[in-house]
Amino acid sequence: MNRLSASFSLTLAAIVFVALALIPVLGSGYWTGQATRYVLFGMFAMSLSLLWGRAGMLTFGHAVFFGIGGYVMATMTMGLFGDGILSELLAQPWIALPVSVGGAALAAAALGWFLFWGRGVSGAYLAIITLSVAVVVEQAVRGFYALGGDNGLVGVPALATWAADPFNPVPMFYTVLVIAAVVYVGLDRLLRSRMGALLTAVSANPDRLGHFGYSVFVVRLGAFVLGAAIAGLAGALFVATDGFASPSLIGFGLSAEVLIWVALGGRNILLAAFLGAVAVRLAESFLSGLLGDFWLLALGMVFMASVVLLPQGLIATPMLWLNNRWNQGNRSNSRDAPGPANDGMV
Amino acid sequence: MPFLSLQNVHKDFGGVAAVDGVDLGLAAGELRALVGPNGCGKSTVFNLISGSLRATAGRITLDGTELGGQAPHRIARLGVGRKFQVPSVFGDLTVAENLDLAGAAGDRWGSGARPQSHLADRVHLADKTGDLASVLSHGQRQWLEIGMVLAARPRLMLLDEPTAGMTAFETAATVDLIRTMAGENGATILVIEHDTGFLERLDCPVTVMAKGKILATGTYQEIHNDPQVRALYFGNRSDA
Repeated sequence: MNRLSASFSLTLAAIVFVALALIPVLGSGYWTGQATRYVLFGMFAMSLSLLWGRAGMLTFGHAVFFGIGGYVMATMTMGLFGDGILSELLAQPWIALPVSVGGAALAAAALGWFLFWGRGVSGAYLAIITLSVAVVVEQAVRGFYALGGDNGLVGVPALATWAADPFNPVPMFYTVLVIAAVVYVGLDRLLRSRMGALLTAVSANPDRLGHFGYSVFVVRLGAFVLGAAIAGLAGALFVATDGFASPSLIGFGLSAEVLIWVALGGRNILLAAFLGAVAVRLAESFLSGLLGDFWLLALGMVFMASVVLLPQGLIATPMLWLNNRWNQGNRSNSRDAPGPANDGMV
Repeated sequence: MPFLSLQNVHKDFGGVAAVDGVDLGLAAGELRALVGPNGCGKSTVFNLISGSLRATAGRITLDGTELGGQAPHRIARLGVGRKFQVPSVFGDLTVAENLDLAGAAGDRWGSGARPQSHLADRVHLADKTGDLASVLSHGQRQWLEIGMVLAARPRLMLLDEPTAGMTAFETAATVDLIRTMAGENGATILVIEHDTGFLERLDCPVTVMAKGKILATGTYQEIHNDPQVRALYFGNRSDA
């Protein structure tokens, strides 16, 4: 099985999120601020795990939705929309945040309609088209003066006054951690429901699914929009944390990076994808100073080794191993329990 | 008009006529076998009915509704269930999940879960509901797919070689299953099969196809004794 049992997954997630919650207690303010960003990248990685790991849609342009979330959040909270009272209203983070998520979802709906209508594109074609979209969107943003062009938008306000103190990143960290935990639990439940089975099925054999009466278009579009909405949420919270929306958040570079995080962690398992992003960013902050430009070379070599030797992912492989031990333990404890009724067999 | 009706249906693949003017009618609740040598167009007929392929010419209707040009999922929702020649189940899902998914589509995404355990029982997989479909044997996968088709409660079932790769015991059980399926809910069943033993046991009208055309229709005995069919399909062995 390449899935975690519900009880094991919940236990492991609780351990991971509690451990992350201890960072502000044990670490410095600097690391708490960094960890906020890592958790947001982890959330972004979970949304790609949904698309690629579950629904089988390999996209090289997922950062487009992270970036749209970020830029909508930045422009709205900086008061660049409308004027007077309308501008002030739209600048409210609690209005801007849902609009950012909606903007990313809407963009995904438009792109997805074009991609998945009729027989739709999948596999390498989907990868190539999304890659081109990412490159085009990044170039457009770089050349768009109103969005700050190459420099991006500097001075994006914080989510609220309690999150605005640059010397106290703790409130924003916990806010982000709670949102990430809620997203995790929600996605995990969704993937364990019939919708999860539907995504697995659309990935394995879309034509067969169609002959059971499901519209493959609707299933794919739904997954694409949901993944984009979560990416947009992560992007919006990211610029509010960073105070800075840059074109590098919306392009091919970040799209490829998130693919590497998810592949290294394990694309089939949400928590592994989440930890893949956190682990690579953490390793980068230590090792890029040490290795300099060789960091990317090292990451590339680890990536190649992982793809060949542990295709399930560096984090997912031990998770699955532990999962099997856990479930065997549980099974032997309940060996005396009556098994399922087995009458009516021929 | 028959429940399922094909009128002068043609399908060309780059100038080759795979289906060449087929007329076929099935009454509601009828069980019919479709036989013929490899490449005679049987599976293409299934592909045309279920919407995988679009007919070059001709009309296909189900209970008076035109099927031609509709997407496969729409045709499925009109009540056409299909079992593929190569068992097509979702290997990464458990037996229970496979049945649940197939059953829910009949409810149009139905959020309300319908218990499918009785179906697992009917296709002899009651003790395998928690297993991944990928670990089932070939015959068990065939059964699972039949169970999935049943779960959607179709009005027309297209079964493409449901006993291919099955043991004699499994084949006999499958014949019983199909005969029961035909008796209940008034489902109409069209089944493609090569195995003459299976056809004899199924004991239903048989339509023979050759080179994209319908050659003959009759009872198993009539078809069996038809010299044209014997030459084509059963060969000219004296014991046939």
